[in-house]
Amino acid sequence: MVIDLSAFDLAISAALILVSAGISIALGLKMEKRLAYASIRTVVQLLLVGFVLHRVFAINTVLALLPVVLFMLVTAAHTASGRPAYRFRGMGLLSFSVMTVTSLVVTITATGLIIGVEPWFRPSYLIPLLGMVLGNTMNGVSLATDHFLESVKERNHEIEMELALGATRWEAARRPVAEAVRRGMIPIVNSMMVVGVVSLPGMMTGQILAGSDPVVAVKYQIMIMFMIAAGASLGAMGMVLLSYRKLFNNRHQLLKDLLSRRKG
Amino acid sequence: MDELLSINGLSVAAGGVTLFSGLDLKLGSGEMVAVCGPSGSGKTSMLRAVAGLSDPVEGTVLLRGRTPGETGWPLYRRSVLFMDQRPVLIQGTVRDNLSLPFAYAVNSEMEFPEDEAAVLLETFGVSSARMDQDARSLSQGQQQRVCLVRAFLIRPEVLLLDEPTSALDQDATSSVETTLVEETRKRGLSALVVTHDKAQAERLCDRILNLSDYGASGEGR
Repeated sequence: MVIDLSAFDLAISAALILVSAGISIALGLKMEKRLAYASIRTVVQLLLVGFVLHRVFAINTVLALLPVVLFMLVTAAHTASGRPAYRFRGMGLLSFSVMTVTSLVVTITATGLIIGVEPWFRPSYLIPLLGMVLGNTMNGVSLATDHFLESVKERNHEIEMELALGATRWEAARRPVAEAVRRGMIPIVNSMMVVGVVSLPGMMTGQILAGSDPVVAVKYQIMIMFMIAAGASLGAMGMVLLSYRKLFNNRHQLLKDLLSRRKG
Repeated sequence: MDELLSINGLSVAAGGVTLFSGLDLKLGSGEMVAVCGPSGSGKTSMLRAVAGLSDPVEGTVLLRGRTPGETGWPLYRRSVLFMDQRPVLIQGTVRDNLSLPFAYAVNSEMEFPEDEAAVLLETFGVSSARMDQDARSLSQGQQQRVCLVRAFLIRPEVLLLDEPTSALDQDATSSVETTLVEETRKRGLSALVVTHDKAQAERLCDRILNLSDYGASGEGR
């Protein structure tokens, strides 16, 4: 059984933050305001999420789930397409489509097929799993897209030289495509390498604290690592390949003018 | 002279502004034509449109009476080969760069002719001992010569050369020009050569096309 936390318990943890803020003031680090703002945001955001999840879990229908899932997908797609230094028209929609398909396929495979939870959309399973998959897919997609668009823009002379020598669009683009997908997968591959060695993953820690057998927690964590690796790599591949199709037409031309540098 | 490349009613724009329009040109086998015109008249844009690297506003280009789509774009581009004003080389050795196009599907029936590459390098004044040197560590002029050698090796029918000697100093210009003309003639290739230098145009080519005659007014010569 989980030991619940009272408001007083949370106040003690907040006191630890106050100690940090005090040190910041004493040393003139000027971090205290940011720390206070971040702490307030943490409390407000998490309370809000807790309230929404409490309601959604209680209703337990697809209709109640839909707005939450949609909000998560739109926010993740917006963030993923907002990070790259270059952009093209329709990139946000492309990012939304890729994130939706990859993260939902991966998450529903886990809830419906692997865990076999009934019903497959049970919000207490689907939302946390989707959140983990989406967070990593978002990072993979944005890193890969950023790298791909930047190398297409900056190496456009090389790509056009290859096209001029008789390369197909794929032959001319495959190096930037491969590098970009590799770049998008680096964070997840790195975290798979050190999982459990440097730190215990959040989900596993949560399950153990909630009283689960560590072996069960480990099995869940293995599944999660595979899910997020699949989500991040499929998302990165999907987004880079669709961007490639957008930037190279069937006359094997590079449409470099479609790319513009993001302002700011 | 057989008609090899036919440019019909070509109009090219950049940034929404028409650079020239109604350009007609028939290029015979083995013929070298210089493309002249003031800066901004669309010389490079014309070569890019002929190579099919960008679309013209209007007009068609036919190779032996066939459109690039009918020929197949990669095969068309290998046959009507555009060479950038700046030498463009990939990261790797001179050999990596020279053998690069032989990895493409369109060139699958050809093997990288190592011996011919060495001879051509020497002909263009680059020691064949540099074959395994990092290509990007060569001087601009030598990089340009490597690009010319790479172009000849894949046996194009038409060369589209954009200021081919702009990366070279005066002495090198004259020796590369001579080799370029000799190799082009020897192999029976045709060429469109963009140059801002009228004297060079006269030295290199059989005739001169002045792009300013096809200015944005839309009237031809």
